[in-house]
Amino acid sequence: MNRFSKKDEKDNVATALVDLGKNKAAHIYLSNGERLTNVQSNEMIPHGNKIALNDINNGDKIYKYGEVIGICTEDIKKGDLVHVHNVKSLTVDIPKEFKKEIMRQIKIMQEEGEANEL
Amino acid sequence: MNFKGYRREDGSIGIRNKTLIIAVDECCDGIARNISEKVKDSVVLTNSYTCMLGGNEETFNQMIAVGKNPNVGGVLVIAMGCGSILPEQIAEPIAKIGKPVDILTCQKNGGTRRTIETGIQKLKTISEEINKTPREDVSIAELIVGVKCGGSDTSSGMASNPSAGNAIDKLIDAGGIGIGGELFELQGCQENLRKRAVSEEVFNKIDSLIEAEKSRWSVEGTNVETMSIGNSVGGLTTIEEKSLGALYKMGTKPIKDILEINKDFIDKPKESGFYLSETTMLCGGAGVNFASLGAQMVLWTSGAAGFNNPIIPVIRISGNEDLFNDDMDIDARGIMDGSDTVDNVGNNIIKKIVEIANGEKTQLEDIGSATLTLYQKDQRLEQLLGSCKNK
Repeated sequence: MNRFSKKDEKDNVATALVDLGKNKAAHIYLSNGERLTNVQSNEMIPHGNKIALNDINNGDKIYKYGEVIGICTEDIKKGDLVHVHNVKSLTVDIPKEFKKEIMRQIKIMQEEGEANEL
Repeated sequence: MNFKGYRREDGSIGIRNKTLIIAVDECCDGIARNISEKVKDSVVLTNSYTCMLGGNEETFNQMIAVGKNPNVGGVLVIAMGCGSILPEQIAEPIAKIGKPVDILTCQKNGGTRRTIETGIQKLKTISEEINKTPREDVSIAELIVGVKCGGSDTSSGMASNPSAGNAIDKLIDAGGIGIGGELFELQGCQENLRKRAVSEEVFNKIDSLIEAEKSRWSVEGTNVETMSIGNSVGGLTTIEEKSLGALYKMGTKPIKDILEINKDFIDKPKESGFYLSETTMLCGGAGVNFASLGAQMVLWTSGAAGFNNPIIPVIRISGNEDLFNDDMDIDARGIMDGSDTVDNVGNNIIKKIVEIANGEKTQLEDIGSATLTLYQKDQRLEQLLGSCKNK
């Protein structure tokens, strides 16, 4: 089961409880166990990372736990990976070079994930 | 719910009956450890900073407060004899609340070998005296439980932290006290904390202590890690996301006050409810901070490994499928795949709290205990930061 957790009604992201490949259906669950409609992934979403539940525009707020966890820095499509490359903190943001390294490591995880699916 | 605890002279309830050796300077650390090896259930607290008093009053206050912790039955204070901190200064306030306390100075006692011999005799005498303390039936309303996280990943915010928070809420419903800390990691949670604080005054105090902690750690020209690369590769995007997940372990009850740990005093919680505190985010120092606030136990949420403390037992909670091992006391993994609920794991934690209070050991108690680290806010740095702010 491709289980994803949406923590609050207000949230525009859900967290992956599995490694999900590209073009796969993410099964979105609320904390009370209720299952919502699926979201198709545009790229691999590694375990623990977040998928966009709808289109999010540059400058929009990102909600998780029903609270603002950051601000969108480039347009995000429904089904995209939501992370440091397209979101920044409103208090202390991660330095650019660290963001590059984080995304490099995630890219490797994504490539390994794709290789596994062949 | 009741457990069998040790009632101390000052009315507080211990869940362990330890003897504590306080080495007021690092030079007598080896002497303290040699004595401790020969006396069962004894623990060593060493001041490794300095043997000088000026500027280190916060450490001095903590040594006294740990001696007063209800899990400590009696205390032996030792000093080399050439430093500024006199053992009497530590021993007297602890003796005042009715605990058996003795002192020993290496220089006055004929050197290291004789001090070890005399120390073993003195500590054995204290140990025999406190072993007469009976365990009596008391309510879990007597419990003060600290809550702390470490090695956070996505499962912390979703499974182990909400479970710890659920248990803290239930403990408070039963009349107990919960204490959180890690102010640096509450950045971005201010609006949430404003809603939870019992008054605007309490919120302002919380806010100013968070700001002070921010200024301590964010000094230009030095690096500070609010997020490790590992945190982010694991899926945490911003400090807000990490902090909000961390806040779950502190439950949902109103925040009664924030307990200060400083050079002038150490606060104590006064009545049932939830309190924030100046307990550091650094795990070793946090153990001693919690002990100095009077906590008898700590809930620790994580992936795995980490935090232990020889005075106040640590209950470990993990929901991480990959890292879970037999160091853990509570299994929260089922929450991640939907086969278990936060409420059920919360009930398991409460059950475990009562068992541990009753004398049962945690998975790692007495195995590979961590050092009791005395962490303090350096008074010299505090002054410098203060002068920076005034410019």
